[in-house]
Amino acid sequence: MTGLIVMFTFIAVILVAFMSIVQRSLPDAIILFMGVGLGAVVLFFVFQAPDVALTEAVIGAGISALIFLMALKHLGEER
Amino acid sequence: MNFKRDIPSRTYSGFALSALFILTIFNILLESGVSKTQRAGDALLALSGKEGVANAVTSVVVYFRGFDTLGEIAVLFIAALGIGLMLHGDRRTEHEESNYILQKASKLLFPMIMLFGVYVMVYGHLSPGGGFQGGVIIASGILLLLISDGSFEVPHAVISVLETFAGISYVLIGLIGLLVLDKFLGNFLPNDVAQMGRLFSGGIIPLVYIVVGIKVGSEMSMIVQNLIQRSDDD
Repeated sequence: MTGLIVMFTFIAVILVAFMSIVQRSLPDAIILFMGVGLGAVVLFFVFQAPDVALTEAVIGAGISALIFLMALKHLGEER
Repeated sequence: MNFKRDIPSRTYSGFALSALFILTIFNILLESGVSKTQRAGDALLALSGKEGVANAVTSVVVYFRGFDTLGEIAVLFIAALGIGLMLHGDRRTEHEESNYILQKASKLLFPMIMLFGVYVMVYGHLSPGGGFQGGVIIASGILLLLISDGSFEVPHAVISVLETFAGISYVLIGLIGLLVLDKFLGNFLPNDVAQMGRLFSGGIIPLVYIVVGIKVGSEMSMIVQNLIQRSDDD
């Protein structure tokens, strides 16, 4: 069962990361990047690292996406 | 605003390499199996029981690697300092109105996020979590307030007092350990193994994690405020 969850999440994370790269609009790419972070949270939790999972949930899916969005907001018009 | 970009053709050859990489990782996952994940750090896990801390990760991060944690805190402090220096001064003056649902929901959610952050920070030695995670959760609560209420400002005087207090007390706890036990960050408070699992257990470890949480929370709040409240006219 655990192996199934791991495999499913692993494939989902790879697919979302692939979509994030191929995406033509940058805000969508950032949202998909947050999805990669959420998948990583599930993987960390299943692999018995809840401390890392908590950190990844807050920093990987929250604060880093905020920084990307803020950078995009300020650089967007100069592109 | 135009966010379109072109994908170079070599990206697709990069995908082929990535596929190879993924196959290798799948191979490793299948061979090792997910049941045999508890191999690394057995020695530290055996040691961590002696400090009377239920969460082994906390006893490693705060006690066995306590000096490294002090260095990490210093790195975060320098990062906050750099962002403050770079984005200093050019605050935006006009406030954007956020939508009604965000305004009301943030008032409802903010106390819960704060409570959860403090819980994660204080119970770091018993359950997953700790100072870093709790501090960042508190900063994300501040972020919600900053997004929803354009006129909200993080009180600068309170933050500077909290951060100074936290930084000084971390070093002071370490120095008291050096005086009493001849070891920097020595565990000089009672850390009876029989008390393991209680809130007041583990000696200095919960104290250090609370101090780390206060410092990380105040620094991340200032970073978030600097990023959000930057003026748009440059």
